[in-house]
Amino acid sequence: MGRTVVTITQQLNETERMLSPFRRTLRRNDQYVFDGLFAAARRHIAAIGQEESLLPFESALLAMLLEQSKEIAVLQQKIEELIKKNG
Amino acid sequence: MAEAIGWLLDVYAEEDGIALWLLTDDDKRLCLHMDFDITFYAAGDFSLLRQAWIFLRDKEVRLERKVRHDLFLGERDVLAVTTSNPARIQKLFSELQRQFPSLDYYDADIPITLRFIAQTNTHLLGRCRVKLDDEWIENIEPLNSPWEIDPIPIPLRILTLTPDCNPVIRKPRSLKVQYQKNGYNLQLDSPRLFMIGLKADLKHIDPDLILTDYGDTWLFPQLSIWSEETGIELNPNRDENRPVMTRKADSYFAYGQVTYRGAQSYLFGRWHVDRKNAMSFGEYGLEGAMEQARVTGIGVQEMARKSPGAGITAMQMLTALRNDIMVPFQKQQVEGTKTLIELIRADHGGLIYQPLIGLHGNVAQIDFSSMYPAIMVKHNISPETIGKEDVLEGLVPKTLRPLLEKRLMLKNILSDLNPRDCRVEILKARAAALKWLLVVCFGYLGYKNARFGKIESHEAVTAMSRELMLQAKEVAEDMGFTVLHMYVDCLFVRQEGFQKPSDFAPLMNAIEEKTGIPIALEGVFKWVAFLASKRDARVPMTNQYFGAFQDGTLKYRGIELRRRDTTLWVRKIQLAALEILAQADTPEEFANRVPDVQVLVERAKRELRTGRVPLDELIVCQKLSRTLDGYVSPSPAARAGLQLQAQGRQIAPGQSMEFLFARNASGVHAWELEEVLDPGRLDTKRYFRLLDRAMRTVLDPCRPLLVPERLL
Repeated sequence: MGRTVVTITQQLNETERMLSPFRRTLRRNDQYVFDGLFAAARRHIAAIGQEESLLPFESALLAMLLEQSKEIAVLQQKIEELIKKNG
Repeated sequence: MAEAIGWLLDVYAEEDGIALWLLTDDDKRLCLHMDFDITFYAAGDFSLLRQAWIFLRDKEVRLERKVRHDLFLGERDVLAVTTSNPARIQKLFSELQRQFPSLDYYDADIPITLRFIAQTNTHLLGRCRVKLDDEWIENIEPLNSPWEIDPIPIPLRILTLTPDCNPVIRKPRSLKVQYQKNGYNLQLDSPRLFMIGLKADLKHIDPDLILTDYGDTWLFPQLSIWSEETGIELNPNRDENRPVMTRKADSYFAYGQVTYRGAQSYLFGRWHVDRKNAMSFGEYGLEGAMEQARVTGIGVQEMARKSPGAGITAMQMLTALRNDIMVPFQKQQVEGTKTLIELIRADHGGLIYQPLIGLHGNVAQIDFSSMYPAIMVKHNISPETIGKEDVLEGLVPKTLRPLLEKRLMLKNILSDLNPRDCRVEILKARAAALKWLLVVCFGYLGYKNARFGKIESHEAVTAMSRELMLQAKEVAEDMGFTVLHMYVDCLFVRQEGFQKPSDFAPLMNAIEEKTGIPIALEGVFKWVAFLASKRDARVPMTNQYFGAFQDGTLKYRGIELRRRDTTLWVRKIQLAALEILAQADTPEEFANRVPDVQVLVERAKRELRTGRVPLDELIVCQKLSRTLDGYVSPSPAARAGLQLQAQGRQIAPGQSMEFLFARNASGVHAWELEEVLDPGRLDTKRYFRLLDRAMRTVLDPCRPLLVPERLL
């Protein structure tokens, strides 16, 4: 399967390749964060694939946002726990 | 009228019918004959059919106009061509097809065994009763079914012939002859004495199966050379009127890779299986190949050498023959037209859910049993039923149903048996052989050359599987489980406080109730590690994991240990490391075992450095994906191939190259080269890198995911 239509993994790889001049221009620190965005999208390849869209990168962006929201929620919880602990 | 009862050993075409070998209850091997008519069909433009009629009428065939069923087109007017000479059908059909290429042909290339089985309801290796007039069969009656779970085993005489070395590397000096518990070595230095000795053994033992190593590629071709040299005739066939049938070596592309198959030697009246040239023999051995022969109708000699795809095609042909459906000579169904969005919607595989990276404790692995075939059977998915409601059971589900039921029954019996029971190994092999048939059956729905395939039915199966997996995930989450990973037909779940297999029973019942497909608990892991990409530790890798079940058994997928191109040395050390880690009962204990693994690795490196590792443990085995001149920058395997080519060896795509990494100009040393590598020239640094990489795989999971300092 995925013989006729390219797979989501292939599409993400292709998008990443197209954005390589953008990535190259970023500072080394920012490049690591940039790679993290794609890593976040790759954690949701199954969900992006289920979305029957002509532009799967929209769903990939959503997946990146989702991971960020998750991280914020975790950090918020940790801060609240610390505040509670320290009075 | 005489009568005989026994097992059906072999069936093949003759000029005046078919020959049939029966292994009787009183231990005789009878060669019997039977009149057998063969019919094939042509359909198409009426004026062309009329010309075909004229072309055929003086060729000793019976011609009739008939109406027959095409699976996709319904009833068709056809020209039926019948001959009483089964050995002639191929030639006759080729002539007709050459003259009338635009006609549609049916039933033109059905193996004779399938026609025989469909007509007599017997099966290969099955028991039957024959009524005889001298050597001619008047009547044949089946005494059991291929779907019987515990058939009476066929008492085969097996003669094993093994040369003392791989003939590709070195000229063998002797051949080990083994029959039952007796074995001896037959020297090869005098071909004359060897031929006399082997001839005497064949006559004395009269084996039903000659099981060889390198029989296809070395022994049988060599026998005909020695026969010419010495003037001693040696026909390894039981049917002495036949020569050995040989097929040339070939390379072909299947399942995503180029595969090389050596020349093959087939016998009549007995079987020859070359263990070194049998595609799936390693998976399930002789018992498995015999089980496949029983249910598919393809002989053991062929089934051992062919892919299970040939078996499933044969089973579909049998279903078609039994249901008066014509078997098209060529596939006629093409993919239906779709819009782009329809294509995007349809063109998906199974659901693969990225795992949560890291070590997890008390994880249950739940598998759907034969998910795809079960979907095909339950939802009646077949190329001719796709998109239709309330239709009769399709050809594919009809073929699969008994196969699926038999495998599930074998698995149930296996799960009830003590692992030490002597029946376990045989049952396992038979279940594995059936599993492979079921596995490829799904693939064949979408295979471009499958006669009963249609891509839409293939897509329907994957669409249904994705839906079922999502349903399973939802059921698990509703019951408070975390789904760690899903891979096509299995899911990994955990929940705090759940660790015994019985803790997961309610979840399994709920999933089975929701999806209607049987599921099984593969086991509960004490701990399991899902791996991250080596390039970026934040990216999870699908189907790359290792873990220890509660009884200490290890399970690993996608790591070096599973790869055929990993050296035995690295595999042994990685396995030893996992065995150390398997002593840990929790993810926390896992970290405590790491120092022991590091000691193991240091010791292994020391052994390599001091030359105490046998060279054959360091062999790397890689396949050639193309011809040697097709490489722009030759891979290590290609460089090894070039070394062998320089010594006059023929190298073909798909062949596996064995080599050592060496400190020389090409960086490798082909294992099959005549000169042995000086151990001092071994590229130990390269082997250390391979080992370090394998060790990173097993130790990385206990390392926390750190944000690099450079970010801050």
